[in-house]
Amino acid sequence: MIRSAVLELVEDRARASVGRWERRSLGVVRAEDAAEFARAAGERAPRLVDPTRADFTVHPMYVVSLLRGAPGADAAEFRPDGMYRDEVPGTDGLDVRLMAGGQDVRWVGEVRSGDPIELRRALTAVERKGVGEGFLLLTMEKVYGAARGAMVEVTERFIVR
Amino acid sequence: MTGHRERQIVVGQAVLPVELTPEAISLLWFGAVTRNAHLIHYDTEFARSEGLAGPVVMAQLHGCLFHRAAAEFAGAGGRVREVGWRNRAPAHVGDRLVVTGTVQSVDASSGAVTLDLVERCGADGVVCCRGRAVVIPG
Repeated sequence: MIRSAVLELVEDRARASVGRWERRSLGVVRAEDAAEFARAAGERAPRLVDPTRADFTVHPMYVVSLLRGAPGADAAEFRPDGMYRDEVPGTDGLDVRLMAGGQDVRWVGEVRSGDPIELRRALTAVERKGVGEGFLLLTMEKVYGAARGAMVEVTERFIVR
Repeated sequence: MTGHRERQIVVGQAVLPVELTPEAISLLWFGAVTRNAHLIHYDTEFARSEGLAGPVVMAQLHGCLFHRAAAEFAGAGGRVREVGWRNRAPAHVGDRLVVTGTVQSVDASSGAVTLDLVERCGADGVVCCRGRAVVIPG
């Protein structure tokens, strides 16, 4: 399939899924995992990287950076390029290039160790950008919640070429 | 008198720089803890087939650096309410990433401070992301 036809197919699929909310469990937040995330991100603040401290705090970017929670994915969930088949709506099974476009993250609560995190997400906009066949800019709204309610809201953009 | 000196924040005030130089191992580590297996972050040949110069830094890692800049500005007892960024150019393995910024506005009623942030990468200081943050200083 030529690239312009592939992009049109992605656009059609994506537009058809706009506004459809889906849910995904990200598992229970473990202090040790959040601390390792902080260390991998280059943090040195003791309250972020040492889960044994009384003032330990889950790094605010931790849950919004998780693409999957425990116990992780099955082999069938990956695209050939290593991305998850359902990560970018409309692209499953298609030979397209995926790039991150940016995010807006808004904290409305504090994620704590022991919180079971549920992600709700929906595609909210599909735009054709650039010249010629250009690229698609997909905008997704995400809400990360725990038992206490919404914790973090994210607007995320994906570029599909 | 409490001895507490209120912190003065003014528009145009500098946000102190924070930096990170992600190497191949640190990207693999960050990808492992976030369960991100996308080959553009690890595989040079694949990244080049996508039109990139080499493996690129994850969006979430850019976000962490913006968050750190905002959190350090907010200071002890402060908090980060929002962080946002737009990718402008890819940042590659070994690039030194530096986030700097200035105070864009101060809301006297809520105490919220909006920061205008930018992330530059590599020896040439190419702008790889533009961002903003809203903080409540401590």
